[in-house]
Amino acid sequence: MRFRLPKLLLGGYGLLVVGLPLAGLAYALLGSVGLAGPLAAGFTGRYWLALGHDPGLLYAALYSAGVALVAVGLSTGLALALVLGAQAALRRGPLLGLLYVPLLMPALVLAFYLFQLLSRSGWLSRLSYQAGLTSRLEAFPELVQDAAGVGIVLAHVLLTFPFLALLFQAIYQESRLDDYYQLTRTLGASAGQFRRRVALPLLLRRAAPTLLLSTVATLGAYDIPLLLGRPYPQMLSVYLTTRLQRFDLRELPAAYLAGFVVAGGLLVLLVPALRYTRRHAL
Amino acid sequence: MLLTVAYLSKRFGDQPVLRDITCGLAAGQVLAVLGRSGGGKTTLLKILAGLETPDTGTVLLDGQDLLPVPPNERQMVYLYQEPLLFPHLTVFENVAFGLRIRQVGKNEIVQRVSKMLEELDLGAHAQKAPHQLSGGQRQRVSFGRALIIRPRLLLLDEPFGNLDAQTRADMQQLFLRVTRQHQITSLFVTHDSREALTVGTHFAYLDRGLLTSFPSVREFIQDPRTSIAAELTFWESIQRTAFQPDYET
Repeated sequence: MRFRLPKLLLGGYGLLVVGLPLAGLAYALLGSVGLAGPLAAGFTGRYWLALGHDPGLLYAALYSAGVALVAVGLSTGLALALVLGAQAALRRGPLLGLLYVPLLMPALVLAFYLFQLLSRSGWLSRLSYQAGLTSRLEAFPELVQDAAGVGIVLAHVLLTFPFLALLFQAIYQESRLDDYYQLTRTLGASAGQFRRRVALPLLLRRAAPTLLLSTVATLGAYDIPLLLGRPYPQMLSVYLTTRLQRFDLRELPAAYLAGFVVAGGLLVLLVPALRYTRRHAL
Repeated sequence: MLLTVAYLSKRFGDQPVLRDITCGLAAGQVLAVLGRSGGGKTTLLKILAGLETPDTGTVLLDGQDLLPVPPNERQMVYLYQEPLLFPHLTVFENVAFGLRIRQVGKNEIVQRVSKMLEELDLGAHAQKAPHQLSGGQRQRVSFGRALIIRPRLLLLDEPFGNLDAQTRADMQQLFLRVTRQHQITSLFVTHDSREALTVGTHFAYLDRGLLTSFPSVREFIQDPRTSIAAELTFWESIQRTAFQPDYET
C-alpha cells in the first residue's frame, strides 16, 4: 500500500497535465469537424475548408508572435545589460530586492496601471498637457490600445524583464562568472570580449528553455492584451476567446477549429525547439 | 631578475593579509610557495596577476612597473584550483581562446592548438565538451589554454588540489616537462610540501602574510615551519620500526 500511493498520485498528476489538455484538444478537433458540441450534426469538413478564406486567425497568430518576440527580446536584452553591466549594484544595493516587486503584481493590475498612466486621458497625457507639451488630447501619442501593440509589449517587458534578470543573476553566480571574468582577463581578454565570448553564450544557453517558455507564455497571455490591445489586430488568446463567447452557437465549430490549430501548431513548433535547447543546454 | 617584488603589503579592513613581501624570480625558474590556507597565497597571486591592488609596494617585470598595467596586458596567466574550462566550448576552442581574442590567423590557430593538444596527450579529445573529460584531462586543457599564449609568468594557485593522488603525481610530472620544454617561469602556490619539492626550483614559505625565501632546498627542508624535517623523521621512524625483525609480532 505504501508503494501504491505515489503511483496513484503520479497517475493523477499525469492525467492532469497531459490527459486533460489532450482531451480538450481532441474535443476541439471533434468540434471542428461537427462531431462534438451543442449543435453537432455529423461529420463535415466545411469549417476546415473555410479556414483558408479567413485571414483573421493568421493575422492574430502573426501579431501575437511579433509581440511575444519583441517583448521577450527586449526583456532579454535589458536583463542581460543589467546583469552584465551592474553586478556590483545587484550584489550590494537594494536593486535585487526591487526586481521582485513587479513579479508580485497580477498581470491585470499592471495592465490597468499602465492604462491609467499611458492612455490619452491618462496621467502622462494630463501632465504633458499641463506642461504645455501637448495642446489637445489627440496630440499625445497612442501608447495603449495602439495598432503596433506598444502598450502590450511594455506591460510584458515590465513583467518579464525582472524575472529574466533574476534568472540571469542566479545563473551568473551559479556558473561562477566572476571567476571566469578574472581568468579571461589574465588570458588577455578585455571586459567586452569576456561578455561576448563567455558570459553571453553561457547565460543564453543555460536560460534557453526558460526563454522559450516565456515566449510561449507571452504569446498566450490574455489579461494584458484584453485591456491594452485593440479589437483589431487581436492577440491569439483574445481572438479565440471572442470567437468562443459569441452568442451564435453555429460559430462554435470555427472557434474549436481555431483553438485546435493554435494548440496543435504550438505543440509542433515547441516540442522540437525544447528538445533542441535541452540538447544544447550546459 | 624577471620578476621583482618589493615591500608588497595588503590589508582587508583591519586584517593585514600581506606584510612587506619581497622576492625575486629569474626567467625559467619555478618558485614554489608553501603555506597554509588563509596565509595570503591567493592574494599574492592575484596582486601579481593584476586582479587585486596592493596597498603599498612595487612589482617589476623585466624592470617594468606592473602595477599600472591592466591584467589583460600583463601576459601573466592565473590558474585556479579548478580548471574553469568554458563549458560552451570544445577542448580545441578552450585552448584556442587566447589566440582567438588576439585575432591570430585561422591556420596558425589550428596549427598551434593541434600541436599543444598533442603535447598534452589531448589530441583525441579535441572536439569533446569539457564535461566529457576526466579531472586530470580538464586540468591539462587548462594548462594548454594558458601555455598557448606564451605567458611571461604562470601563476598557479594549488592547481592540483582537487585531483586524486595518482593524477596529481602525473600532473606534477607533466607540469615539470612542459615548463622546462617551454621555458615557462612560474610561481606555484601549494600547501603540500611534497608537491613544492617536486615542482619547485626555488622555495618560499608564506604564513600570516609574511614570506620567507630560502637560498637553497636544504634551508627550506630544515625550517621547522615547513614541517618537512619533522615529516622525514616520522617516516624514518616508521621505516625503522617496520623493518625490525619482531615488528610482525
